[in-house]
Amino acid sequence: MGVLTGIVVGSILFVFFSRTSNETYISIGPMNSGHEDFSCNTCHSDAEGNLWQQIQSNSQFAIGLRENAVDFGTIDVETKKCLACHERDNDRHPTHRFLEPKFKKAVKQINTANCNTCHSEHHGKRMTLQKTDYCMHCHEDLTVKNDPLDVPHSKLIANEAWGTCLQCHDFHGNHEYQVPHKMKDTISNIRLKQYFEGGIDVYSSNKKFVALSEKEWIAKYISNH
Amino acid sequence: MKKALYTLSSLYAFFLISCGGVPEKSTNTSVEKLVFSVAEVLEMVSKENDVTRTLYTKAIVGAGKKQGMKFDEDWQKEEVEAGPLPALFLRGIANDIQKSEVPLGLYLGSDFPINKANKFEGKQAELFHQIKKDRAPQHFFDEEQKMHTAMFADVAGAAACVSCHNKHEQTTKDDWKLGDVMGATTWQYPTDSLSYKNTIAILKAYRNGTEAVYQDYLHEIAAFKTSSKPEIGDKWPSDGGLYLPSPAVFLDSVRELAAYETMTTLLK
Repeated sequence: MGVLTGIVVGSILFVFFSRTSNETYISIGPMNSGHEDFSCNTCHSDAEGNLWQQIQSNSQFAIGLRENAVDFGTIDVETKKCLACHERDNDRHPTHRFLEPKFKKAVKQINTANCNTCHSEHHGKRMTLQKTDYCMHCHEDLTVKNDPLDVPHSKLIANEAWGTCLQCHDFHGNHEYQVPHKMKDTISNIRLKQYFEGGIDVYSSNKKFVALSEKEWIAKYISNH
Repeated sequence: MKKALYTLSSLYAFFLISCGGVPEKSTNTSVEKLVFSVAEVLEMVSKENDVTRTLYTKAIVGAGKKQGMKFDEDWQKEEVEAGPLPALFLRGIANDIQKSEVPLGLYLGSDFPINKANKFEGKQAELFHQIKKDRAPQHFFDEEQKMHTAMFADVAGAAACVSCHNKHEQTTKDDWKLGDVMGATTWQYPTDSLSYKNTIAILKAYRNGTEAVYQDYLHEIAAFKTSSKPEIGDKWPSDGGLYLPSPAVFLDSVRELAAYETMTTLLK
């Protein structure tokens, strides 16, 4: 009787959670800004093999009977997947640039070669990194000749005011706007925080490139294969 | 009971680990013959890069400026009506290579870069010091990244390289001369040997990148609102006017100039 009950309940749960309309119940958290309408399959594709084979493979790996472990359930979502929709030629800080050996030290502090470092998914936000002082890892030697800012960059750096960088500069450089020349005209940290939390765009609504929608990405994928 | 449990557990463990599972991925699934060392291939593609950049710098930027064309580091900004500076042309190629399936990395750096964040550090700084002395390529294996890495001298081959860098508002060195080693390109690839197929794939990825960036430049021109738009076709700025070669004409010239070196490597 107990076995039968288990099978029936298990089947009902399996059918319930397999439906696309119920995906929200198995998601580990709300999708980040701009990703609200995505289905699980937009980012997560099934890992190779069935669950039993995956358990077998990872058990074999655990006791040294095979060289590599395998993904369990779904394939890990990596930067390349994000770039399928977000890749653009005007990115001031494209992830691949940080693979160059000279950025090793900086990357040990903050792995900017990986989108997930700043944009961890399932948090219902735009930017998930708590601190915004990361410019210091590469730009600590910055000098600006004929500095247009009323408070010179040299002074901001000397004061280690790294939180001010994003008040003028959009990290990825996709927004079209005039950079202010007076500190009083810069974007306040409160407004920046709201933007990172998923609020309105504080840099500009005018973007040069817009990320592909799920539909556009599918069309691109089909045309490339 | 204990015996049954023991037997069941043993059987379970046996089936779990004995056979089946997801097939192991081999690190080298190719049955193709590996005919080139990674050093040979990177030197070949680096020479293609030298030809491409020199042609772009001399025939497009240098000659174009004389005809009134503009080139700017913010060339992709909406309010800027200009073409890419040579270093950004290279970065555009590197970006496009990253979009491909070819695991080739391409970077540009210097000891006196315009942007200090591009200054060489660590192993690269050490090897660049040697490159400045003898101009010979430097190869090393990056243990952390597991990448075969090569650095090649980036020589000031056109007057435009020198004048732009010397005059740049944020320059960290203003006495560059023609023929100076202004920096180095760094290339990375994961395997030590390559088949013909993979070698051709690298070459194609580089050439596709060149075409993509050049096309981007022409798209920017098409969107110019106030500046005069060059005529795109068979003519070059050196023909005396606002002319730019079409992508096919530009790439044909690159192929013609690079053919000897590239074919010598491929047909060794």
